[in-house]
Amino acid sequence: MSRRATPYILILPGFLLAAFIILWPLKEIVQIATHDVNRFGMLRGFSGLANFDALFGDADFIATIGRTAVWTLGVVIGTLVCSLPVALILNQDFHGRSLARVIIMLPWAISLTMTAIVWRWALNGESGMLNSGLMKLGLLGTNIQWLAAASTAFPMQIAIGILVSIPFTVTIFLGGLSSVPDELYDAAAIEGAGALARFRYITLALVKPFINIAFVLNAIYVFNSFPIIWVMTQGGPANSTDIMVTYLYKLAFRWGKLGEAAAVSLLMFALLLAFTLIYVHLAMREREAKA
Amino acid sequence: MRRKALRSLVYWLLLAPLIVVILFPFAVMFITAIKPPDEVLSPNWWPTHPRLWNFVEMWSATDFGNAILNSLYVSVLATLLALLVSIPAAYALSRYRFAARGAFRQFLLVSQMLSPIILVLGLFRLVVSLHLIDNVNSVVFVYAAFNIAFSVWMLQSYFSTIPLDLEEAAWMEGASPLTTLLRVFLPLATPAMVVTAIFTFINAWNEFVIALTMLRRQESYTLPIQIFSLVAGRYTVEWHYVMGAALVATIPVAVVFAWLQRYLVRGLTIGAVK
Repeated sequence: MSRRATPYILILPGFLLAAFIILWPLKEIVQIATHDVNRFGMLRGFSGLANFDALFGDADFIATIGRTAVWTLGVVIGTLVCSLPVALILNQDFHGRSLARVIIMLPWAISLTMTAIVWRWALNGESGMLNSGLMKLGLLGTNIQWLAAASTAFPMQIAIGILVSIPFTVTIFLGGLSSVPDELYDAAAIEGAGALARFRYITLALVKPFINIAFVLNAIYVFNSFPIIWVMTQGGPANSTDIMVTYLYKLAFRWGKLGEAAAVSLLMFALLLAFTLIYVHLAMREREAKA
Repeated sequence: MRRKALRSLVYWLLLAPLIVVILFPFAVMFITAIKPPDEVLSPNWWPTHPRLWNFVEMWSATDFGNAILNSLYVSVLATLLALLVSIPAAYALSRYRFAARGAFRQFLLVSQMLSPIILVLGLFRLVVSLHLIDNVNSVVFVYAAFNIAFSVWMLQSYFSTIPLDLEEAAWMEGASPLTTLLRVFLPLATPAMVVTAIFTFINAWNEFVIALTMLRRQESYTLPIQIFSLVAGRYTVEWHYVMGAALVATIPVAVVFAWLQRYLVRGLTIGAVK
């Protein structure tokens, strides 16, 4: 065994398994997306971009694109806004900090499926504990049928999306905050910088690269996230809470429109590739800034 | 001292709203799980007679034992398979400079960004053409493959912190690279492998969409699918069993995760950046 071949032999099994499970399905999807295909998956001749045309002629799908943007940006921005103060607090020394940390991290530990099932029950109109809790506190007069209409269901789903994304984001921010040396604050305080100025020019400036990375990584995860919406409403009522991933699933496994489903997959793949390039760019810049 | 006590109080008050929202689902799970059947649909918070026997009934009513065995089978095998192929790859990335190194890392990065849902249609066709539909082994391969990128990054970021000297000494003594890997390097890397294995296990344990797509009969359901099937498309849901099952399925994993979460970020961010 020559020295030069060794690394290739070492990466080969992992590469083959990942490539087989990722590239083969990708090839299938490209094929389906560009062919006329029946509901059982039989290819019936090349059709160019006809599947994409059908997709963009579908008003429900167009609405889904906008909703995916609202979902992704809503969850990601909401998460960043909630996570930064939490991380700043957890970075301070106070009694019971490790307990607070464990509690804040809890949502990360539970599978999204379980979280969504529990909330589906908690949001139940007649028997749900959210309604009864809010009524007991006097915040609510009558029961709200949370999941019966998109106008209440979708914001709730976004709120739950935020809740489960906070732990990961706080962890990234804590990593960033731990890299800020205390001497910097002391020096700035001696120079007469106020608390607000110190926050803005030291904390925020040094944590900014981590905010960028958290933004992109969360955007990727949330954009891909399926269980919260699928378990709580299956995109209903009447497709009014569908995002691209749930619509893709319905196209493929409910309505048998395999060609259009494959077209959605490719669109999402292209968008994810763009996100990934942004991430690599940010990560490289971050690394160069450090070097 | 007084100052710190005051500060602690203020911080806890600031965190309180979030903590309430985080603990609320746990309260819902626990309280519903111990409600007697005739009280489940009444919206009172605390049951008049807490009923722990629910958990015993839940076990058979939800076919919990079978689902937990399927979940264990799938998660253990997927973890072992992912580690088996990731350890050599991570070793190669941290110890060798070779031409395809950059390309391999980029491949890993892209595969990490792709979630199975994007490829689910192609994966379904792959599994059908291999005649593995409804076979838990199909899920094992998919989980293992989708965890390779994460595992390699995690492992590599730890491997790079292990000094080269010991391996070099072994090479000097005439040991082959394989012997060195098995006898010198791997024992040092055990903690990293354990942490990586646990996270891969939790990923597999919690996965939803692939299991939903590939497993069509109840005998092959994993826990998330089994519990989801008790809720989806049913007119009457026995919520006290569902919440009991969710609680039992969640708590062990949550405890392990809460204990290990601080290791996770290294694999997720530093590994990707380096």
